[in-house]
Amino acid sequence: MSLSRRVFLRRGALGLVSYGLDPLFLDRAVYALSAQRRAEPVNKRTLVCLFQRGAVDGLSMIVPHGDAAYYRERPRIAIPRNVVMDLDGHFGLHPELAPLKPFWDNGSLTAVHAVGSPDSTRSHFDAQDYMETGSPGVKSTPDGWANRYCQHATEHAQTPFRAVAFGPQLPRILAGSAPALAIDDLRTFGVRARTSTGSDRLTRAFESLYESGGPATGLLATSAEESFEAVRMLKAANPAALSVTNGAAYPRGRLGQSLQQIAQLIKSNLGVEIAFADVGGWDTHVNQGNAEGQLALRLRELGQALAAFATDLGERMSEVCVLTMSEFGRTIRENGSSGTDHGHATAMLGLGGTVQGKRVLG
Amino acid sequence: MMRSRLAVLLAALTSTPALSAQGPITSLDSARHVLDRLAYGPTPGMVDRVAREGVMRWVDAQLGVDAVDDPNLRATLSHFDILSTPTSELVRRFLDAQRERRQRQAAGDTMMGPRPGQPPPGDAELRRLGGQLPQLVLVRAVQSDRQLAEVLADFWFNHFNIFIGKNLDRVLLPEYVEQVIRRHALGRFEDLLIATARSPAMMVYLDNTQSVKPGASPPLPNRGPFAIGRLGSRALDSMRLEAQQRRPTGLNENYARELLELHTLGVNGGYTQKDVTEVARILTGWSVALRGPVAARLARRTVEEGSFIFNAWAHDDGAKTVLGTPFPAGQGEEEGIRLLRMLAAHPSTIHFVSTKLCAKFVNDTPPDGCIDDAVRTWRRSDGNIREVLRAIIRSQDFWAGVNRGVKVKTPLEFVASAVRAIGARPDSSFRLALAVAQLGQPLYQHVAPNGYGEQEEDWVNSGALLNRMNLALALASGRAPGVRGTLDAVIPLSSDHPTLVESVNRIVLAGRMSEHTRKVILTEIGDLQDPVLARAMAVGLAIGAPEFQRQ
Repeated sequence: MSLSRRVFLRRGALGLVSYGLDPLFLDRAVYALSAQRRAEPVNKRTLVCLFQRGAVDGLSMIVPHGDAAYYRERPRIAIPRNVVMDLDGHFGLHPELAPLKPFWDNGSLTAVHAVGSPDSTRSHFDAQDYMETGSPGVKSTPDGWANRYCQHATEHAQTPFRAVAFGPQLPRILAGSAPALAIDDLRTFGVRARTSTGSDRLTRAFESLYESGGPATGLLATSAEESFEAVRMLKAANPAALSVTNGAAYPRGRLGQSLQQIAQLIKSNLGVEIAFADVGGWDTHVNQGNAEGQLALRLRELGQALAAFATDLGERMSEVCVLTMSEFGRTIRENGSSGTDHGHATAMLGLGGTVQGKRVLG
Repeated sequence: MMRSRLAVLLAALTSTPALSAQGPITSLDSARHVLDRLAYGPTPGMVDRVAREGVMRWVDAQLGVDAVDDPNLRATLSHFDILSTPTSELVRRFLDAQRERRQRQAAGDTMMGPRPGQPPPGDAELRRLGGQLPQLVLVRAVQSDRQLAEVLADFWFNHFNIFIGKNLDRVLLPEYVEQVIRRHALGRFEDLLIATARSPAMMVYLDNTQSVKPGASPPLPNRGPFAIGRLGSRALDSMRLEAQQRRPTGLNENYARELLELHTLGVNGGYTQKDVTEVARILTGWSVALRGPVAARLARRTVEEGSFIFNAWAHDDGAKTVLGTPFPAGQGEEEGIRLLRMLAAHPSTIHFVSTKLCAKFVNDTPPDGCIDDAVRTWRRSDGNIREVLRAIIRSQDFWAGVNRGVKVKTPLEFVASAVRAIGARPDSSFRLALAVAQLGQPLYQHVAPNGYGEQEEDWVNSGALLNRMNLALALASGRAPGVRGTLDAVIPLSSDHPTLVESVNRIVLAGRMSEHTRKVILTEIGDLQDPVLARAMAVGLAIGAPEFQRQ
């Protein structure tokens, strides 16, 4: 990982650039110097990526109710016209996405339809891989596009929370040499003992075990270093204590919890620039359902979670964009099992103040 | 006779300088290495024992077991009544619970029902039985003497992954694990492959039960004289209507695709989308015998509920071509077997699976030499897994210094090896399996067919490392959920801290403790007067230390 000298001279934090020093250490030193300004937001904008794993049926999310072919190809699973929430006369929202309608109305929701990869693979893993690495057709790309962004765009305060994924494992989209954090739950992140002095003491002990110069090398070492830095910052900022604002109501379950915690991190000014969460269950080969059923239940959770997030952040949404994505779409025609098979393109939703809303593009 | 041959082999291995970057490998190092890679880590004293009795002798014994199941565990496993519950009974319970739920919903009960992946409410017995499955993995991993067999069983399950939350797989999985994976884990790859293809669990998981020749429909049931009278014609009609709406009406390519992409040829194995479709056509009719309430009364054949069945009515009997090989028309079920044999012997399959085995046992980036050895032996032995493993273990790459102690343990490996290292054992509750889930690897819950990964990038991220440290501390202080056993039986108390730490090194870390770690631990326990507390802290730090994360 190389850093440009220009960055250091501009910051004035260090007179000499020594290429022998560990870049991670340098970045942290820079951040620490500006720590007293932590009361203000450290970053300008935040991108929240929400990956719908399993190839979501975009045609059911943003329904082309003005197109007769849609109803012809899907006798059992099309959303009836009378329950679609119309958006622009041709497209409409699935009824379970109703919580998002107010955001369409106020211009902060947009949809991009018929968007997909130039690579025509219909393999979930390959397609997710291509979408997360940003290199369709190439399997040898070692890192994710979000991580590469972090590697190259260094005019941003480097905090351990710059790139955060919610879940037990770091997803491909954030794999790479730039530090990224995987958090399962903000409330339990850290070394835990019965007392808080106990926790502090043990944290210090483990930190010593994993420090550079010891047996920890490579990914183990860098990952540990990021963890401990993150623990320190969480202790100071305590985002988990922030309550939900503006009457937002997150749905119960992992998706709601992840988005709520992303909101807490944003509100805590910890420097989140890219946040990631994923949600599965979209691979509706069999019995997809229409206004009701399998897919509808999933969309209900999604709609509620996104709406709650935007409500919770309130004015801060002006600097936030939530982007939904999925590895490909599904067949226009329904299959033999009242479902849909793998197709090509799907729909993405953009939600937030940075979005030029009230349009269905593509 | 055996001894001298082994001695020669070991001498040969230890005397070749190219094998180790740090010099010739000692017998202690060899013992540590095989117990790391071919087992779930050593138990206290095991490294010395294996080194003394002969490393290759231990390896050969592990390779030579007649079956995966360890007879010594029979008594322990008698608590797990999932192992003795017939699949047909599990299926019946499942379908009953499902029907019950539908009736409630139809009657106006507006409760949303379970989210996908969650168990259906109202059948506590099913849930109790289901919870035994992941715990079984842990009991076997920690306590079986047939360690290599357990490691292989885990490997093959991930290779032929099934998600327990999919529909009937909840109740079809026990038989899959026991009769398909564990029965064939040490045998021939072709037999294992065919067994997975003919397993109800796989047919459901990858939707092959939904794949029929376009337009095909099951033959009309022969209505007995009493059938309509008992059910009432209106009930029959509505059930028939419901069944019709759910009945599959065409090809479903899901299984065909994953069979080629993940189970055999690999994504670069040289097949096309057309091949996928042709394979799907060949496998139409490969399904599961299931009878709903109507069919149960009307069926004439007795077929075990939840067993594999070939539905001739669903089979596409036309001619097909796969990978350039013609499959003539009219071959019925037999052409599927022929296809599987062809796939099992295909060069792409041999290369793909050998590469995965080398990644598991040698290095995340498997060296070519190892792969070549495996491929050559696969060909020579007609896909005998035992022999392929033997070739990998005997390859130079397996013993090379650059490949020893370099892999990061998966959550399952970490938990199992930690419990073994302190001489403890899992109890019969679900709780230790939950700990593995919290480290990122909920057993049997990997949704996608590719199974859990082997690479360190899959497992090393900040959150997970912190949770390993937490579990290490809990284990050391006897507070780990689902674990039985005390340190008293394993590490003597001592108020002399250097002595204590050296015991921890010898017994828990098998001699792997670095000077750095030793210093840190001594510093941390420096002011602790209570010897019990000092011991717990030392052990907790050791298990959470970098050395213990690697194998």
